[in-house]
Amino acid sequence: MGRREKDLFLELLSLYPRTPPAPRALSKNSVLPDAEASQRMLDEALAEQRVQNRQLLQQLMLDLARFQVRPTGMKLVLSEADTEWLLQVLNDIRVGSWVILGSPEDPHALDELTEETVPSVWAMEMSGYFQMHLLKALTGD
Amino acid sequence: MAETVTPDLLPAAVPVQEQQDKPESDLEPGFLVICWNDPVNFMDYVTHVFQMVFGWPRKKAEFHMLQVHEQGKSVLARESLEKAEHYVHQLQKYHLHATMERDE
Repeated sequence: MGRREKDLFLELLSLYPRTPPAPRALSKNSVLPDAEASQRMLDEALAEQRVQNRQLLQQLMLDLARFQVRPTGMKLVLSEADTEWLLQVLNDIRVGSWVILGSPEDPHALDELTEETVPSVWAMEMSGYFQMHLLKALTGD
Repeated sequence: MAETVTPDLLPAAVPVQEQQDKPESDLEPGFLVICWNDPVNFMDYVTHVFQMVFGWPRKKAEFHMLQVHEQGKSVLARESLEKAEHYVHQLQKYHLHATMERDE
């Protein structure tokens, strides 16, 4: 990636977490045994994940050695484990931005770009861009 | 002459020991792990998540991803309560719209 791309990448990551911490239902249509406790466990697991991912992100952003300078630009060095949590972080930003935009049925067909919507449109599209690059790197496609 | 009546043979009772040896999945209620479609998650991403969470090969993950995309949902697994909860936790960590439902 180029220097500008790196700056955009880090700016994007600083938006995490973007998905509102509202409870996400464990079940849509069924009454589960001990439903309250199960839902609480899910909420706690997701909250714990946010804390962990935040810590990992901070480490990444401070570790300049991860961005290796090459003649053609910069190379971000990630392990497979790094890639997984980074994918989760990027998707949180993408989904969170989509929610902020009102969860449109077609994320690409917004009525208009306003000062209010532009930051979330940018975050949604950029996180998708970096997600696809990470997935390509994983699959070798 | 009286007709010869073939007696009805009742099914042999299953010994209790045999019942107890049956795999748990046949005895416990099952819970379905379901992934629901949404407009925001990329197809490639969903495929990747299925591979990571379930350890599936790419083809199987793609099959279920396409089910989600084309039919609105896919039943990914039928498991015990605890296992189904575990899978839903994992899928939701990736921000997929996943829930568990009783297998009626």
